[in-house]
Amino acid sequence: MQHEAKKITLIVNELLTVLLLDGSSEIDIKILKQNQRTEIIMVQHQCCHDDRFIERLRYNLNTQRQKEVEGYYWQLVGENDNGDELYLVGTMVDQAIVERRGEDLFIQLIRKM
Amino acid sequence: MNDNLRNEKDIGRANMLKILSVVPILFLVIGIGYGIYSSGVGEIIKGLSNIILSPTILITDFIKVGGISAALINVGLVGLINLSIMQRYRLKINGALIAAFFTVIGFSFFGKNLYNIIPIYLGGYFYTLYQKNSFKDIFVVVMFGTGLAPIISEISFSGVLQPIAAFAISMIAGIFIGFVIVPLSSHMLKFHDGYNLYNIGFTAGIIGTVLTSVLRSFGVTVQPVYIVSDSNHLVIILLLLFVFAVLMITGIFLNHRAILDYPKVFAYKGRLITDFTHLIGYGTTFVNMSVLGFLSLFYVLIIGGTVNGPALAGIFTVVGFGAFGKHLKNCLPVMVGVIMTALFFGFELSATNIVIAVLFSTTLAPIAGTYGPFIGFIAGILHMILVTNVGVIHGGINLYNNGFSGGLVAGVLIPVVDAFKRE
Repeated sequence: MQHEAKKITLIVNELLTVLLLDGSSEIDIKILKQNQRTEIIMVQHQCCHDDRFIERLRYNLNTQRQKEVEGYYWQLVGENDNGDELYLVGTMVDQAIVERRGEDLFIQLIRKM
Repeated sequence: MNDNLRNEKDIGRANMLKILSVVPILFLVIGIGYGIYSSGVGEIIKGLSNIILSPTILITDFIKVGGISAALINVGLVGLINLSIMQRYRLKINGALIAAFFTVIGFSFFGKNLYNIIPIYLGGYFYTLYQKNSFKDIFVVVMFGTGLAPIISEISFSGVLQPIAAFAISMIAGIFIGFVIVPLSSHMLKFHDGYNLYNIGFTAGIIGTVLTSVLRSFGVTVQPVYIVSDSNHLVIILLLLFVFAVLMITGIFLNHRAILDYPKVFAYKGRLITDFTHLIGYGTTFVNMSVLGFLSLFYVLIIGGTVNGPALAGIFTVVGFGAFGKHLKNCLPVMVGVIMTALFFGFELSATNIVIAVLFSTTLAPIAGTYGPFIGFIAGILHMILVTNVGVIHGGINLYNNGFSGGLVAGVLIPVVDAFKRE
């Protein structure tokens, strides 16, 4: 797929922006790139986000993959100071898990080729 | 689940497509019926022929060129073709698709017809073959990309070239536009950072400027024209009122709290991409579209304007983007800015070019939504100043002239506003 590496970078960029804007101060990022899919895992330690924020994150990231939206608008992801393109990130991933695990916020995104 | 969607009925993609199909089917049926009743089949065919054979350069009103019934039939046919592609590729009915669909519907009164949109679709299709993608993935962009359709009609029917050469070159130009519109439009988003909702208008303005320069260097003069209907037609006004009423009723049917939930739409800035179907649900989205439709129509009538092809394009585009970023709160400041500037410079508000400048200025609604009504008002002022001057650059082959102007305004204004922001 065209621009695959850049798209993954922008997805991470957008999520990082959103978390930092909401007060995160310690975040681990892991990216697993395989042949047919990419996994992005983010762990925000000592979760400082409220349930409403987490629910909004979960809802927007699980919007459903929409390649027609991605194909046109992907360059807007991660480019703005406001971190308001979560829905667009949602259209670029096939599966999203957003949940509290102990003290941490765990986010796993799966993007298939 | 999002609070706004708890009361929403899920009617499925197929039924949503049926709801959208009401507009083109209605226009097609009324167009045929009205044509047979008022002038006969011969006049309908002659009107359609005039529409197809027109160069369609900005501003060419199909109601003036082909008559009401032929214009309505053209809208119906273009709409149904697009719906059949949506059906064929099983596209999700999201805000972007609704916006694209209503934009195409509106501009079928004013520049787009079956002859000049198909080469662009073919170009998009060839692009997906070349890139080994699905046509589904780029269909929304290609739908918007038909804003450059006049170049096909201009080359075909301006009379400068021999008919066969004109046909061949116009097809090549259309296919080329369809091929490049996807990467170009995606790239252009970065110029205005999503604050110009008609991004393809900006892209098409750039492409149109290049193509017009090429044509001019070969001695082909491309000049904007002004062929517009100057009288209101009751049948069209009634049709619009009916469509907006249907949107309102459908919205309430899908979500019985749609009216109560409606103010929630004002919380969104509207910057690309703000898909109201996802954020507030289809019910409230349809109510928002309906409200914007009534507002646009009443505005045109109150200032004494004519609901002609260009105004209809403006009204339907505003309605379509009611699913994709526009609402009263972010549209009004920009519109007021345009109106005040037009009055300041002594323009007649009821003149068609000013009517459409006001309606299409809502391309900059995200600026008002993000930076507040005052900056939105300033954006409206700049838009009015630019839009009356940029048409000559592309010679009128870009139907989305306001999108071109909007892109320039947003690209300049946003960094300037940011320069005055403090941490």
